[in-house]
Amino acid sequence: MSENKNNFRVAPGEAVGTIAAQSIGEPGTQMVLKAFHQAGVKSNLTVVGLPRIIELVDARKSPKEPLMRIWPQKSDLKKFEKVVELKRKLEEVKLRDVLEKSEENFKNASMSITLKKEKLENYSLTEREVYSRLSKLEGVEISNENHIITIKITKLRGVERSIRDMRVRFINIRNMAISGIEGIGKVTIDQTEDGSFYLVATSNNISGIIDIDGIDKDRIYCNDPFEVMRVFGIEAARNTILRELDDTIRTNGITVSVRHSGMVADTMTFYGNIKSIGRHGVIGSKNSVFARAAYEETVKHFINACVFGETDPLSGVAENILIGKQINVGTGVVRLGIKKEELKKISAKSSKKE
Amino acid sequence: MVEQQCTIYINGRQVGFVKDGAAFANEIRKNRRQGLLSGEINVSYVRKLNEVRVLTDRGRARKPYLVVEDGKSKFTEELRKKLQAKEIDFNYLVRRGIIEYLDSEEEEDILAAISEDKITEKTTHLEIDPASNLSIVINSAVFPEYNSIGRHSLISNQSKQSQGLYTINFKNRYDARAYLLYYPQQPLVNSSAYRQLKVKRHAAGQNFVVALTTYYGYNMKDAVVINRSAIDRGLARSVYYKSYSDEERRYPGGQQDKFSIPTPNADGYKGEHAYSKLNEDGIIEPDTAVTEGDVLIGKVSPPRFLEEQTSFGITEEKTRDNSVSVRTGEEGIVDSIAISETLGATKIVKVRLRSIKIPENGDKFASRHAQKGVVGLIENQEDMPFSESGIVPDLLLNPHSLPGRMTAGHMLEMLIGKSVSIHGDLADGTPFGTNGKELMDNYGKILEENGFDKFGDEVLYDGRTGEAFKAKIFTGVVYYNRLTKMVSLQLQVRGRGPVQILTHQPTEGKPRRGGLRFGEMERDALVGHGASLLLKERLLDQSDKTSVWICKDCGDTGYYDYIKNRATCLTCGSSALREVDISYAFKVLLDEIKSLHIMPRVKFREE
Repeated sequence: MSENKNNFRVAPGEAVGTIAAQSIGEPGTQMVLKAFHQAGVKSNLTVVGLPRIIELVDARKSPKEPLMRIWPQKSDLKKFEKVVELKRKLEEVKLRDVLEKSEENFKNASMSITLKKEKLENYSLTEREVYSRLSKLEGVEISNENHIITIKITKLRGVERSIRDMRVRFINIRNMAISGIEGIGKVTIDQTEDGSFYLVATSNNISGIIDIDGIDKDRIYCNDPFEVMRVFGIEAARNTILRELDDTIRTNGITVSVRHSGMVADTMTFYGNIKSIGRHGVIGSKNSVFARAAYEETVKHFINACVFGETDPLSGVAENILIGKQINVGTGVVRLGIKKEELKKISAKSSKKE
Repeated sequence: MVEQQCTIYINGRQVGFVKDGAAFANEIRKNRRQGLLSGEINVSYVRKLNEVRVLTDRGRARKPYLVVEDGKSKFTEELRKKLQAKEIDFNYLVRRGIIEYLDSEEEEDILAAISEDKITEKTTHLEIDPASNLSIVINSAVFPEYNSIGRHSLISNQSKQSQGLYTINFKNRYDARAYLLYYPQQPLVNSSAYRQLKVKRHAAGQNFVVALTTYYGYNMKDAVVINRSAIDRGLARSVYYKSYSDEERRYPGGQQDKFSIPTPNADGYKGEHAYSKLNEDGIIEPDTAVTEGDVLIGKVSPPRFLEEQTSFGITEEKTRDNSVSVRTGEEGIVDSIAISETLGATKIVKVRLRSIKIPENGDKFASRHAQKGVVGLIENQEDMPFSESGIVPDLLLNPHSLPGRMTAGHMLEMLIGKSVSIHGDLADGTPFGTNGKELMDNYGKILEENGFDKFGDEVLYDGRTGEAFKAKIFTGVVYYNRLTKMVSLQLQVRGRGPVQILTHQPTEGKPRRGGLRFGEMERDALVGHGASLLLKERLLDQSDKTSVWICKDCGDTGYYDYIKNRATCLTCGSSALREVDISYAFKVLLDEIKSLHIMPRVKFREE
């Protein structure tokens, strides 16, 4: 077994980076043509294929389609009611989601709203709950009369009560979360094959939900490496990148060895924070002036190198090709490792024999 | 509410409004058919924009249609008989509004039936012939309706590349490039349009005897095997003309070019040998065999820049060689020379080279069914398959090229061509003009009567062993084109050769005897394999390797002084230099950086 294991070791000097790039790049060209879309419950995974890979590799600050998988604590895994309760706790419901009608009256700076019963029931809310949430607002007066809630602005930040300011305020109120956690977005319930339930949220707010009771903190999954890094650290971010890359490639019906995606993930997180594969990231932080200049923004790198008197140690591939030296990869890593003194001893020995 | 008015445009200019645009357009059509309006007016009603467009511009492409009214073609049986008896002619039908010409704009308004039995209540027009909705190129091919649809665009492209008799006065012309087939033939199977347009006057192909068989792997993947004896008899032989021209230009300052043999002191003198074939007037003689590098027109030009005045008064006038020589990879015999004057009253010389192109390995052939292929082997006739009656095919086509491409027309042409060549007839293959089953029956019968298999299969014998092939082989006669893509014009090799001045790297492109690019992706492949020495060889040793002396003290480049016999650094005066091999591109980079007032220094690792 251990002998076998050694057979699979990568040979010293293997150009793993180049091979990884080629191994991902070649099937990547096929993915451009494959506009793949899956219908159904998992439809929140809409950014798939090449755009998603580019997003990951470029280390964009927030993904186009953020996503979190939240698991209930182990005892509640198969209890649907508990999961529904959890969902209610989390899901962000805005005031406008439950409105039937809202009328703005700019003359006396008030807005009267009517709530829709069915919608309230959908979110398991009551009028009273909404009312109590609204009454916590500052700078407004609230009155409930015959199911019509009237919100009157008493204090506006500006001195003047311009219609514009009032309107902004009304819009803000309508966009206010009346239940759930702000910024969590829509939450749906999903079920695995073995019957356990979990929640899928279309946001990347781990820090917002991690302290909520009933959640399995160890199993929160988010597709945003940056959010993962903020909450769990760089190693977790690395795993996120690896997993996202691998999943994206695999959903397109292409198989690429994880070692290659792993190489990308390792390179991106090697410096302790997430760096993109590009001039602002990994390539931009190469320590060779020539390698950076050969890629993009040639003049900038030369000028900076001149100002700071940089020295290029000529250790990478690009710079050695540029000047015409044997590259430090593959057969080029092999060096003669004999010390001069040792060599003398050997030659002395062999001359003795003669 | 204001009633929507329909806008009328004449040649794109707005002229007025009507209430009902469609009726207005129909009114114009009615008048046009009655001869009250010119037949060259076209009208269309655009429902979406509610506008009527009347077009009378020149240069609209128009196409004739038969008019259909009330579900009946106006071209009646009575008229047909009259036309056949030549009592009336086509123009009579046009004048009577039975045939009308429509432009692309008006075609949007009509519903044309492809044949008379397809007419419905809504039909407004009828195609004169079902084939008339196809292009000229497709119409001069045969049986396109038996081929798969995607093949047609390929047919269009390939038949345009065929060599033939492109014009009769080729002797008097100096086309930049011209291809002439030695013995052009008219196709045994042709189409109505081919006859109408008299394309056979400019025939561009020959009828090949084709056997549908593989041949020891020499015709796999669209390659074809050709009979050497057939080529020796002149099959698909052609001549290639290439013209070079030059004129005596005048320059500002009264200077002028002159056709003459340059003197050895001229700038850019190519050496005595290159001008050896020129006459005294600097122009080559006809019937001289020339190869690449030979000068055809010797020309001397004034120097590019004005000379500096020297203190010794008049200096010897410098000249520059500006001759026209044969391009790389080309050769031939000087066919003819024309000397004339341009409109600007300068002398102009045109030289036409002729070279005979005998089919060889790699030349391209195509039938009229988008079955193109290159010659994979030219086989001796005695080694090729032969039939009982002693017929040896001219060309062996791989049967695998047919099923996937679904060019049934190719096989149909083979069968009919074979049948028709027995009596020396011609057959018709007009698009949509024939019935496949009838063709098979009729021509199969002729074959059977003459002792052949009615499906065109034949027992062939292997020319190498003399044994009969186990399977019967489908043999027939097909019209083949020789295409202008010939290896002798495309071939390009380079071992060592010219390099660019700036980078010292090999040049690019065939005219400059260039190398093939070893690009970034190729480089990555070698990096991926870890083949570091191969990579270095490609990118340095075989490219722009230079050796440069570099100062150990200051890191600047120096040089080796062979007079004092020591290396010298001009920056610090040191003589401790070391010779290193670097790419010339890197040297250029160092120079460029220096030109920006930045001092790049090369350091050596401790030895």
